[in-house]
Amino acid sequence: MRRVDTPGTGGYFPRPQTARLKANDEGIAMDSYLTPYLPILVLLLLAGVMCVAITFFATVLGPRRITNIKEAAFECGSPTTGDPHARHSVKFFLVALLFIVFDVESVFIYPWGALLRDLNGDGLGWFAYFEMMSFMATLAIGLVYVWRKGALEWT
Amino acid sequence: MTFNANDLLGVLPAIILSIGALLLLMSEVFLSTTRAAAQAPASPGERVAQTATAPEISSTQPDRRYQAWLAAGVAALGLWAALSQLGDPAISLFNGAAMSDGFGRVVAATVCGALLISCFVAFGYLEWLRATRGEFYALTLFSAAGMCLLAQATDLIVIFVSLEVMSLALYALCAYLRRGKRPAEAAFKYFILGSFASAIFLYGAALGFGATGSTRLADIAAGVRLAATGGGPGGSAGLLFASVALLTAGFAFKVAAVPFHMWVPDVYDGAPAPVTGFMAAGVKAAAFAVLVRILVSGFGDPSSSIGPHGWQQIIVWLAALTMFFGNLLAVPQRSVKRMLAYSSIAHAGYLLVAVAAMGNAPSRPDATQGLLFYLASYGATVIGAFGVVALIERKFALAGTGDDLSSWAGLSERHPALAAAMSLFMLSLAGVPPTAGFMAKLTVFRSAIEAGLAPLAIFGVLTSVAGLYYYLRVVVYVYMVPEGRADSVPGGRVLSASIALASCALIVLWMGIMPGSFSAMIQSASGSFGR
Amino acid sequence: MMTIGPVHYLVLGAILFTLGAAGVVLRRNAVVVLMSVELMLNAVNLTFLAFSRFPLVQNAPMQGGILQGHVAVFFVIATAAAEAAVGLAIIIAVFRSRTSINVDEFDSLKF
Repeated sequence: MRRVDTPGTGGYFPRPQTARLKANDEGIAMDSYLTPYLPILVLLLLAGVMCVAITFFATVLGPRRITNIKEAAFECGSPTTGDPHARHSVKFFLVALLFIVFDVESVFIYPWGALLRDLNGDGLGWFAYFEMMSFMATLAIGLVYVWRKGALEWT
Repeated sequence: MTFNANDLLGVLPAIILSIGALLLLMSEVFLSTTRAAAQAPASPGERVAQTATAPEISSTQPDRRYQAWLAAGVAALGLWAALSQLGDPAISLFNGAAMSDGFGRVVAATVCGALLISCFVAFGYLEWLRATRGEFYALTLFSAAGMCLLAQATDLIVIFVSLEVMSLALYALCAYLRRGKRPAEAAFKYFILGSFASAIFLYGAALGFGATGSTRLADIAAGVRLAATGGGPGGSAGLLFASVALLTAGFAFKVAAVPFHMWVPDVYDGAPAPVTGFMAAGVKAAAFAVLVRILVSGFGDPSSSIGPHGWQQIIVWLAALTMFFGNLLAVPQRSVKRMLAYSSIAHAGYLLVAVAAMGNAPSRPDATQGLLFYLASYGATVIGAFGVVALIERKFALAGTGDDLSSWAGLSERHPALAAAMSLFMLSLAGVPPTAGFMAKLTVFRSAIEAGLAPLAIFGVLTSVAGLYYYLRVVVYVYMVPEGRADSVPGGRVLSASIALASCALIVLWMGIMPGSFSAMIQSASGSFGR
Repeated sequence: MMTIGPVHYLVLGAILFTLGAAGVVLRRNAVVVLMSVELMLNAVNLTFLAFSRFPLVQNAPMQGGILQGHVAVFFVIATAAAEAAVGLAIIIAVFRSRTSINVDEFDSLKF
């Protein structure tokens, strides 16, 4: 493995202690490595403003005519039944379990994808390829098992 | 970093077991559910069981009997793979993440052998309860794969992952029988305390990583040496001490050493007997193997204060406490299964004596030999003992309760062979010649004396004499107490169990009478940790 | 202005680990106990990452050295997910047999 995150060289990951700490006029320290995230912050703010604005203008400008039917709880158009605090079916747990397992196992695919080119340069390309294929084949066998067992059927 | 295809050969047993497990899973789900089971000619006892006690009988169940034989075949293949490499020189695998040496191979062979015999025990048990499913054998194979890897791992990350592979499969196996409250509760207790122990182990691993900058045991050993000379980074000695303490505590849970033993009786009692036998034999072998690797390969440098002379003290005290309380708490037990659980705690104590003896470099080869001998002999004995329990337990498993000493009364009249086998296993557990248990205790205590731990060895001998009481009580019930209840052993489906029990008994006698031939077999392992 | 250094992460990791351990021992709801175990594992992850980011050992003894901490965290996350799945399944099995997940009531295995 050539890319080694050793101190001093900068390495694969930017190091926080080498990032300069800059104090602006108000005396608030700002990490320079956070600056690339500024556009995301702006985007978040814009989204928030939009939400508030749309709700606000709809309330102020829209006409309101309150009727009994409108006040009733809405359940996809059908009459309301049962207690809202009913126990969840165990099916929910099953789906949650399966989701967690398959979701988290796929976390290994990302670093593999990012590093495959480097590994190929190191002469480990095919090894890495077959390694991931056998891993995914195992996951696929798990999926087939779950499928055939009927855990994916919602009845 | 390079990859060598031969590295895969080094972990061949684990690979064989995993592929077998996947095959079993696939065969289970693609099994046609419409094909009617070919009904075997039922014995009278079984017919009674079918009509009277066993619920949920449906004639459209597919025939799943092949699964036991498939699993047994895979286990035999794994055993062959481990044994065929026995004499080869030790090689480091996967850039130092694992190791294929005599020690790991002997432990892997022990695990595969335990699995093979357990498959036979489980076959009759599950068929009788009408509970055969591919998942059972797949889970046992997965956990055995984890055990084999654990015995060969020399990197803390690999150790953690194989530990979890082993444990997660076992948690599920404990809850396999879904009759009554006991199995699920046992599984829950095992799960919570087991994952608690894994977390403690992992924290120790993180601290060790911090102190040495690596999770490879070889690099940790270098870090320990550096810290001993004062050349390590600041505070690394303290970190290493915390690390070895946490790593030891994590594995003390797994091997059931006092004071980390609370889960053992409940779990052994609540799990199905074939699983308990496999768990007692396999987990002990794998967990002790990795404990020894961490302590000796990782923290074994004699020049360091946290080296052998540091952890040896911890292990000596753990061993003494475990031997004492294990034997003491076994005495009042009425249920043979619970008694065997406490006995398993006591045996963890004797094994810890061998680990303590490995702290001194001169006695290391002998102690290694003693440890492996003990693991193999205890495995054969305990699987046999739980195999007999499995035959007795079938009826109770349906009712969802445990067994009691009174159900053993008069066993010798109805099943003389079974009674003889049970007595043999009890004598071996107690350490009476000419059984394997005696030779095992002898080699372990001899290596302890060699290591200068004579007081510990004497204490061990005293506690094992005290242990005779509760082992012999079972023999007394089997032979001398008149039969109380006429239906104590349900008939039917005993052939496979008989084969398993006979092979266990043969191994126990062979290791007891001709220990030299077994020692010669594992000779190559004794040098695994150097001189 | 205080710089956040390795000690902060390590102390936070230790506190979280202790909280998790206390939760396992003290809490009664089985699901909360499971969550406490996961908290312990995540505290370990934090410790691993802190040691990778601020290595004590300047020349990591082997190739890949400090990257091992990140690798360890990946494996811990994956195993923790599998553990949670098995744990929840066992809790459901317990619930089915006794319609309660209060740990204090798990008493059918006392001698």
